[in-house]
Amino acid sequence: MENAWIIPLFPLLSFLFLIFFGKRLKGASAYIGILLSLASFVYSLLVLFERFSSPTHKAEAVWLTIGDIQLTAGFEVNQLNALMLVIVSLVSFLVHTYSKGYMHGDDRFHVYYAYLGLFTFAMLGLVLSPNLLQTYIFWELVGLGSFLLIGFYFYKEEAKKAAKKAFIMTRIGDVGLLIGMILLFWQVGSFEYDEIFAAVAAGSISTTMITLTAILIFVGAVGKSGQFPLHTWLPDAMEGPTPVSALIHAATMVAAGVYLVAALFPLFTASETALMTVATIGAITAIFAASIGLVQTDIKRVLAYSTVSQLGYMMLALGSAGYVAGVFHLMTHAFFKALLFLAAGSVIHAVHTQDIEKMGGLWKKLRVTGPLFLIGTLAISGVPLFSGFFSKDEILIAAWAHGNTVLFWLAVIAAFFTAFYMFRLFFMVFSGESRSDMSHVKESPGVMTIPMVILGILAVVAGYVNTPWFGTYLGDWLTEGNAALGHGHIEGPSWIMIVATVVSLLGIFLAWLIYCKRSLSRDWLGAKTMYNILYNKYYIDEFYELTVVKVMKFFSLFLHYIETFLVEGLVKGVSAAVSGLGRLGSKFHDGQVQRYGTVAFVGLAILIVVFAVTGGYLK
Amino acid sequence: MDLETLLSYKWSIMTPEFIILGVATLLTLLDLFMPKSVNRKVLGWIGLTGILAAIASLISLLGHGPESILYDTFRLDSFAKAFKLLLLIGAAFVMLLAISYEPKEGITEYRGEFYYLFLAALLGAMMMSSSGDLITLFVGLELLSISSYILAGIRKKNLQSNEASMKYVINGGISTAITLFGMSYVYGITGTTNLLDMARSLLALTDIQHIYLMGLALFMILVGLSFKLATAPFHMWAPDVYQGAPTPVTAFLSVVSKTAGFIIIVRIMMVVFFNTPSSYIPNSMPLLIKVQDYIAFLAAATMIIGNVIALRQKNIKRLFAYSSIAQAGYLLVVLASMSVFMFDTLWFYLGAYLFMNLGAFAIIQLITQKTGSEDISQFAGLYRRAPILAIAMAIFILSLAGIPGTAGFIGKLNIFMGALAVEPAHYVLVSIMIATTVVSYFYYFGVMVQMFFRPAAEQEKIKLPIGLGIVIGVCAFATILFGVAPSIAFDFLHENFNSFSDFFQ
Repeated sequence: MENAWIIPLFPLLSFLFLIFFGKRLKGASAYIGILLSLASFVYSLLVLFERFSSPTHKAEAVWLTIGDIQLTAGFEVNQLNALMLVIVSLVSFLVHTYSKGYMHGDDRFHVYYAYLGLFTFAMLGLVLSPNLLQTYIFWELVGLGSFLLIGFYFYKEEAKKAAKKAFIMTRIGDVGLLIGMILLFWQVGSFEYDEIFAAVAAGSISTTMITLTAILIFVGAVGKSGQFPLHTWLPDAMEGPTPVSALIHAATMVAAGVYLVAALFPLFTASETALMTVATIGAITAIFAASIGLVQTDIKRVLAYSTVSQLGYMMLALGSAGYVAGVFHLMTHAFFKALLFLAAGSVIHAVHTQDIEKMGGLWKKLRVTGPLFLIGTLAISGVPLFSGFFSKDEILIAAWAHGNTVLFWLAVIAAFFTAFYMFRLFFMVFSGESRSDMSHVKESPGVMTIPMVILGILAVVAGYVNTPWFGTYLGDWLTEGNAALGHGHIEGPSWIMIVATVVSLLGIFLAWLIYCKRSLSRDWLGAKTMYNILYNKYYIDEFYELTVVKVMKFFSLFLHYIETFLVEGLVKGVSAAVSGLGRLGSKFHDGQVQRYGTVAFVGLAILIVVFAVTGGYLK
Repeated sequence: MDLETLLSYKWSIMTPEFIILGVATLLTLLDLFMPKSVNRKVLGWIGLTGILAAIASLISLLGHGPESILYDTFRLDSFAKAFKLLLLIGAAFVMLLAISYEPKEGITEYRGEFYYLFLAALLGAMMMSSSGDLITLFVGLELLSISSYILAGIRKKNLQSNEASMKYVINGGISTAITLFGMSYVYGITGTTNLLDMARSLLALTDIQHIYLMGLALFMILVGLSFKLATAPFHMWAPDVYQGAPTPVTAFLSVVSKTAGFIIIVRIMMVVFFNTPSSYIPNSMPLLIKVQDYIAFLAAATMIIGNVIALRQKNIKRLFAYSSIAQAGYLLVVLASMSVFMFDTLWFYLGAYLFMNLGAFAIIQLITQKTGSEDISQFAGLYRRAPILAIAMAIFILSLAGIPGTAGFIGKLNIFMGALAVEPAHYVLVSIMIATTVVSYFYYFGVMVQMFFRPAAEQEKIKLPIGLGIVIGVCAFATILFGVAPSIAFDFLHENFNSFSDFFQ
């Protein structure tokens, strides 16, 4: 553990090496990237095992002295960090491997791997940081890596826009983080997590200040984790290569916001208002994004909205004092969402479209991707025995136990939506007949399917580290020796588990009725004419249109409009005001040298008049 | 003054100035007598050697206590040494830019003048940083200004360059008039031009009307000198002049001249107005503290104007003009907050700014003089044409934007901490600074998008002249180094300048 600082250096090495020599290496760049990310994964695993048996390790040195203020830099391996290290380095390693197949033939192959290395370095550095300042530095670097990767297909206009949007939207959140961080510094006199917690526990910071700083820091997490209302960048970020979406916009970077709140958990629990804010924003995001996911037709956008929604769940858990539930879901989500994205990438790789209206009947053609996608879908829908079931259950229990009844029911409805739209996606892609020419479709190569298989296994079994049936190992370990984090397991009424199960099965059943039954009947009718098929489809659709779907669609569209007009409008309004001001300013700046002098004189006159009037010197 | 007193002075503390003066004279003579056929670039290298020698002699002067000669008109305290170092390093880089400068219509006839005018301007700036008297201060200021006026118009056959020079002269004249008017009030009230004598007599000031006059003088000097800083309300000349002037001159104005402006403003404000009481009651707060809000207001206005108007710019030099207005605004925040580590923060930020801005200007010079166009689109596809250059430019831009890992971030962080460390903390000012910083990402990242995400118009490789190569390499290295290990700079500062404690001695 003393050498844990080496872990981020492997990907950094990969970045530096590939940026300078990548052009000559071409295809071989992949091996360097894969090998070095494997090294950091193996090392992370060792650190995790060592952490099981030994206490937290922390090493620091003075980094900067200003006046009599000393800032330190170093690294820390506590339970949360060790767990995050393994998640990040594992997903990064798998994505590195998978990309070898997915990005094959791209003429900027080495640049892609260099960027991946930069991002992984920043993310691992973020996870190891023992203080807020260092966290902030890596936090920004992570954003930079994400900017470069989203804009990787720079010849696409949307990709360029998305990259810029992602960077600036998250920066807006970072402003909150920075202010919160500096305020906290002046209250505590240190950026160290430990000293901040000690000051909070000793009550040397006023409650108002705790609430204010916690909420400001949460604003940073809102930006990074795509929470309402700063979530709009995340779906757009899907313009990047799909493995990148799996790594950054599913498993790691967007989870950084959740990680930050978890890392500062004692600060948040000290203020009920801050907790409530986190929980409310989380629940709103969960249901808001889930309902938008219902009508999306781009396979990656569906997954993007589902990511936003799942991150909302994690925030809800943390806001309900469910530390373990939040971190647990972060872990299971990282696995099954990375799996879903990689599987989606595999589908896109095979059919060269992202429009699910054009897919269908891929189950028989993609014999590996299909079942793996199904596993991911089952896990995210919360079907019993899959990992997502256990972690989602923990969240619901935490919300209920904390007394957030309204938020609890919102989360239950969101769970229903999740099961519904995920299976809608699954059925539309894999069942029935294909809706466009799919004769050329082939299964992806082994280098892509093997990482998916590994994630598939994890998506099934990862939940068993923390179950009410076989023991809450993860929870006990995470909270060990730190009372501020709450108990390893929160007891909740057993009906919650039943409700969760029923709700998710109901969602799946409904999706099956609408999107699969239709094709079943089409098979059953077999030789009937095209007309009949269309008729049948129309009939069933019409029926459901009138009932459930219409209501849901309306609801979803309504929220979609809120997003388009209210949230985006607000953003547009602000940016229009700024650029309008700029236009006015540059118009005023017309090259007339007399005007320049006038401005200086008028400025001086205003200063003097105001000084004379308010300074108390004139009688 | 007889010869004996003259010889008794410790002239050695002026060694850096003498070296620059000597080299400038030498270059004039060489330029005059050298045959026309000899390439004048060699003069640039001589000038650079002179600057490096001056740096070496300045370093050998470190560690001595404050000393002054010529009846306290020239003083070498740690403030002067620390900031003179920045001026010299900046000038060395600018010299390298000037050596590599090749405008379209040629500059053969004036190349010699180009170099020694830079040295003359540098000499003025160095005198300013060392002066303990209004007279030397003003002479230094004018030496810097007049040399810069000519430099801005050195491309005699270029219309834009002429326009730039003309506008610069006119605005400079106005600023000088305002500054002198303000100084005359201070002289009238104190009866001396020596800064420390002024401070002593001002401490005893009790007449409220005199204090009021001192307030007027403060504003006049501040506004007059804000011309040098290019901050509100005297910022409007900057874009026109920056755009029209030759790129090395633009770099000089935006870094060396601006640093000199901050040196003189801090010297006058801290010595004169910090010692002026704000009311007739004994031990009342200094006048400078009382007008903090006004300075804060000017800082806010400068940051907003610079960053917001920059959004609309398509010309890269104009864009950097507004960017440098904004950067000066950040530096004014330091002056407005007046924390205990004000000098450290100012010094570090000016140093970081020197590296990141001069590095960026080196690349701008390279790209623009190749095509003759200064449109931002010239940067399109730079990453494909010259990946190392694009990465270097990215480093400079990220540092200007204040992204962690770069010197610019540490500089901004210091400013934030300084502004929040004082009582009462400047929350509003800090919020404006952060908000305008976010605005700045739009235009800085516009350049990044051009470089990384746009296809190149032409595929031709870019040849890097040696001078520019050195500037870009050193600046990029320093920007990262001071971003990752800022303690190197701060340790150097603490070891050699004993916290600027001799400022008032």
